[in-house]
Amino acid sequence: MSGRLARADQRSLNDGIAVSNLSHGFDDAGVLEDVSLSVESGEILAVIGPSGTGKTTLLELLAAFYRPDDGTVRIDGTDIWTLSERDRLATRRRLGMVFQEANLFDATVRRNVSYGLHVRRGWRERLREWRSRLFGGSRTPAVTEALEAVGLGGAENQAVASLSGGEAQRVAFARALAYDPDFLLLDEPTSDLDPRNTAVIEEAVETARSRGLGVVVATHDMHQAERLADRVAVLIEGRLIEVGPAERVFTDPDDPRAQRFIDGELVYSAGENDD
Amino acid sequence: MIATIAAETFQALDPAIMEFPFERNYVESIVYVSLYVSLTAVALSTMVSLPIAMLVGFAEFPGKRFVIALVNTGMGLPSVVVGLAVLFLVSNQGPLGTLDLVFTKEAMIISQFVLATPVITGVSLAAVTGVEEGVRDAAYAMGGTRLDIALVTIKEARYGIVTGVLAGLGRAISEVGSVLIVGGNIAGADGTAITRTLTTAIQLEARQGRFELALVLGAILLTLVLFVNAVVLRFGGGRI
Repeated sequence: MSGRLARADQRSLNDGIAVSNLSHGFDDAGVLEDVSLSVESGEILAVIGPSGTGKTTLLELLAAFYRPDDGTVRIDGTDIWTLSERDRLATRRRLGMVFQEANLFDATVRRNVSYGLHVRRGWRERLREWRSRLFGGSRTPAVTEALEAVGLGGAENQAVASLSGGEAQRVAFARALAYDPDFLLLDEPTSDLDPRNTAVIEEAVETARSRGLGVVVATHDMHQAERLADRVAVLIEGRLIEVGPAERVFTDPDDPRAQRFIDGELVYSAGENDD
Repeated sequence: MIATIAAETFQALDPAIMEFPFERNYVESIVYVSLYVSLTAVALSTMVSLPIAMLVGFAEFPGKRFVIALVNTGMGLPSVVVGLAVLFLVSNQGPLGTLDLVFTKEAMIISQFVLATPVITGVSLAAVTGVEEGVRDAAYAMGGTRLDIALVTIKEARYGIVTGVLAGLGRAISEVGSVLIVGGNIAGADGTAITRTLTTAIQLEARQGRFELALVLGAILLTLVLFVNAVVLRFGGGRI
């Protein structure tokens, strides 16, 4: 693959997420510049790069947190910012996202994991659900299944305050799985976890891929990217400098900066210029 | 129920206290007026304060700092000034004069509403802005609408909001100046309270030298506040 081609992933997918020429910044400071990449169903794309390089902003743009300054975010070929608010909500609901922090609600594990299902219900159904919970409650199979997928079966009635950091992050992962999304966006999901919890999450990610979900995982853990990803994108200082199959990017990257980053020689901090 | 217990306790007291110029259900009616006026005012204040707190907390608009300063100033509003303003509002010459609200419970509710709203808004504002942004992001990422995210935020801030409502209730139920001005501290011909509250009755009894009775009414007031706090503490899981 030529150097030019390796820096731009211009697949226009009818079955996946694709961003084209995406640029975005905050308060006049550019964070992302001209980024194009894609992930299709049943594929794991790892976005690697040092901290402060724009990975979180990229995932938030994919999740439609805000409209990009420039460029498009397409899901199954449709630019999400051309949709009506109602249709964009329906599109957003096809995505699951896990953050670096668990960001759990101060409630039971079940309430957290069922939240995605809860907001998809009409008000009448919500009222019925509330009534049923008041009188003993009924189990939701999707919640049980999602918790079992992260090794927390039986923890439904636990208060989140009683969970360890690793368990909390696994609940956050179950919460994103419970409503059966088509795509998963994972922002450094295991950066604060021990090896055991990391292994559980990685196994759940692989299961999600085998079920046909498209997964974008932002990480600065090169080994994790190598273990999980089908394709890898290297983001340095808000620019995509390399994208391609994981094996090639890790063994023979086109861009020398990607090689240096993979080798651990290139460490950036936000605002620092390369070379 | 509280009013009945209070009345029974009252009757069991020293016979000197029972030399009382009013009907048997005098105390009950005072407790009823106090609770009716304060709880109604606080309920209305909460309905207004929560949306204001959410709006000021999360929306960006010109004059936002001014609104926050206004809310904070309102927390220290002198009650007699509020009473005077409400009296002007509901008096014959005032804009609400046609409603004939002078010396009514409704006028007292209006004045307590004005006093309680800044307190509930201010404390709720602090509570909702204290909810971590990550929690709201999570709700959005799971497909929550604006309303869903607002509800999650209120739920996360519930202990702070309840504290605000309690503070508002405390301000309302212990208030003397404005309810005296707009309510007039009236007891009816049958000896029961019409616009007389615990606080205004205490003031009256103390002025007339019936200190024992004033003390009993004070104890009832304290018991009421304590009871409300205990209920909130119970349902708040002991977190206040």
